[in-house]
Amino acid sequence: MIYIEHMNNIDRRNFLKTAAIGAASLTLGSATVKAADKPLSDDRIGILVDTTACVGCRHCEWACRTAHGLPAGELESYSDNSVFKEYRRPGNEALTVVNEFENEKNPLLPVFVKSQCMHCEKPACVSACIVGALTKNEDGSVTWNDDKCIGCRYCMVACQFQIPTYEWQKSIDPHIMKCDLCSERRSNGKLPACIEICPNEALLFGKRSDVLKAAKNKIKRKPDTYINHIYGEHEVGGTTWMYIAGKKFDKLKMPPLGTATAPGISEAIQHGIFAYFVPPVTLFALLGTMMWVTKWKKTNGSDEPKGKLPDVNDEKEK
Amino acid sequence: MKKIHFILIPIVFFGYVLSKVFQPDSESVKDKFTVESISSTEQNEMKKFHDNSSLRVTQKLNCKSCHSSEYPTKDDPGLLGCPRSEMISVYHSPEEGPETVLINEMSDYYSGVEFPHKVHAEMSEMSGGCTGCHHYNTTGPVLNCRKCHESSRSREDVSLPDLKAAYHRQCMTCHKQWSNDNGCSTQCHTRKGSGSIINTGTSKNKTHPALNLPTKLVWETNSKTNKIVTFFHDEHINKFNLSCTSCHNQESCIKCHAGKNRGDIGKLSRKEKSIEEHHQPCANCHFGNSCQKCHRDKEMLSFDHARSSGWVLKSYHAKVSCTKCHGTKMPYRKVEHKCVTCHKSFSAEFDHKLAGFTFSEGHTGLECKNCHSGGDFTKTPVCTDCHDDKSFPQDLPGTRK
Ligand code: SF4
Ligand code: SF4
Ligand code: SF4
Repeated sequence: MIYIEHMNNIDRRNFLKTAAIGAASLTLGSATVKAADKPLSDDRIGILVDTTACVGCRHCEWACRTAHGLPAGELESYSDNSVFKEYRRPGNEALTVVNEFENEKNPLLPVFVKSQCMHCEKPACVSACIVGALTKNEDGSVTWNDDKCIGCRYCMVACQFQIPTYEWQKSIDPHIMKCDLCSERRSNGKLPACIEICPNEALLFGKRSDVLKAAKNKIKRKPDTYINHIYGEHEVGGTTWMYIAGKKFDKLKMPPLGTATAPGISEAIQHGIFAYFVPPVTLFALLGTMMWVTKWKKTNGSDEPKGKLPDVNDEKEK
Repeated sequence: MKKIHFILIPIVFFGYVLSKVFQPDSESVKDKFTVESISSTEQNEMKKFHDNSSLRVTQKLNCKSCHSSEYPTKDDPGLLGCPRSEMISVYHSPEEGPETVLINEMSDYYSGVEFPHKVHAEMSEMSGGCTGCHHYNTTGPVLNCRKCHESSRSREDVSLPDLKAAYHRQCMTCHKQWSNDNGCSTQCHTRKGSGSIINTGTSKNKTHPALNLPTKLVWETNSKTNKIVTFFHDEHINKFNLSCTSCHNQESCIKCHAGKNRGDIGKLSRKEKSIEEHHQPCANCHFGNSCQKCHRDKEMLSFDHARSSGWVLKSYHAKVSCTKCHGTKMPYRKVEHKCVTCHKSFSAEFDHKLAGFTFSEGHTGLECKNCHSGGDFTKTPVCTDCHDDKSFPQDLPGTRK
């Protein structure tokens, strides 16, 4: 892993590309194997973040940390607004964070956006996990299982929202950290910590179908307040956490993602490999080849070995 | 064993995952990017609602205020969005409402809040009245928030905010704008079980702290001549008896309270006003006046009845309120300097002392017309009916103050 950390972006991409090619050729025969899909409940959870109702108190951050045994500090200290100077991402010390954005309609009331794992309807992280350590549950939540995780961090790469983080600082039993929709609290009949504490109920918790209906109603009733877009209704095939806002989501650093689900073929391939159990020695061989190819490319200055798969990343840069 | 995996597990699949992850960039997927969250039929409904809501402003409340269809049924009530302000009948003077309201239902981290209702009610007069908070209140008594807003956050019907949110949303939109402060215990609450309890006290009669009202405001305009505009704030209140709301209406608390602790953001809030907006508060009353009434080449002197009208107010008249002679309606009525303009007819009880004149003993008990011949008070009083050698005003039937 240290190896990846030290590669610059271009090297890393080439390396990964090569890896992908190898993987594809390895698993040609197994692409039809499907992951066992658990049916999602019709009553599965939905949460609507109404960014126009959020006041940026960050109590959700405090509650989340407290509920997960992370150092949280005093609740009062969260009224310090200076943290908003920098854009923050959820990480292994805060599974959820709130960021401030400008509100052109009223500069005195900035827009606040809470972010955390979206609990995708078709989660890329789950598909990417080769050992099934991440599970999409019937209730819609996506949870991580310590016992199964082998620390490969595929989930981190797969997630389009760059959510799962790794406890780098821990040498013993590091965890993949992300919002788990407070599965423990919910199993005790409680609401997720952030939902419960939010003073303004900017986080509306309910059945996904009900919450979606409420979102549409809000937009319908206040077309001057909201733009006509529920982020997460369709993005990447739909998500559990959904957002409504008064301005375009890309201005709130929420990437414009298509409605197509991310996992696609990767799911079949990875589950395929493990269905047929590729012996570790093959993987070593492959790894060796990849390193060699990457090195070869570097020394020869050649950009691309000929006759390979088209690369969407390169397309993007043109 | 696990540790070994950490080192050994190949990165083989990263690439594949990545290439799939970024795939939506390809052309074929691009057109799916526009997410349509509201169908076109729903949009039509939305339009209907809007057309209707503009109608309702001038419309009395009837079935159509709430139902879109002619014959609403239980299964298909065809409910429109609640018309909110248009159907509200709440209005009381601040004194009629409660002084304070204790909100103490769902205190978890914080203790309850003693909400100074009267202060807010007083201030609300300047910005839309009771309905600013008491929305959706139909005819009848003022409803409690909890009448509609459920106290439990995990509930079946999520179409309304829960009670905690209903309370906070009422307060925070303004309080947040004033101070950009989210500190629960700096504004309303006291923290439960914490050593640092802020004592909000249980003070009754909370009112808005006395305002430091300006006496005089002077502006310098951009114009080349008559640059200076002077406005006597105190005179408008104390002499002309205007209430705050006669000029300050449709103003929110933010007008005065924004900018506190806000640095630059506060400054941004100062809205650029158009010429009309600048003149509107004055023009309401001063509409017939020429520009020079206010726009002068130097600061104006404060109001002086003698200077402005040429008539010195003395004794009784100095104590009379302006409205007594000039009417209550704006603009004040212009009055001529003649007694009869006001004193159209005197009754027998008229006490000359009020005009600063005390009759000598022999003159008390006379009828008005003995001196004011024909009851015409505009003419000089006549003495010659009784006295051959006396004439007004050299001789007086008593003493003048
Ligand atoms: S947001 Fe990322 S981590 Fe969360 S469910 Fe989706 S893919 Fe997985
Ligand atoms: S649901 Fe739980 S884990 Fe997720 S952000 Fe909220 S408090 Fe944190
Ligand atoms: S607790 Fe609610 S209002 Fe406060 S920052 Fe979080 S989402 Fe926003």
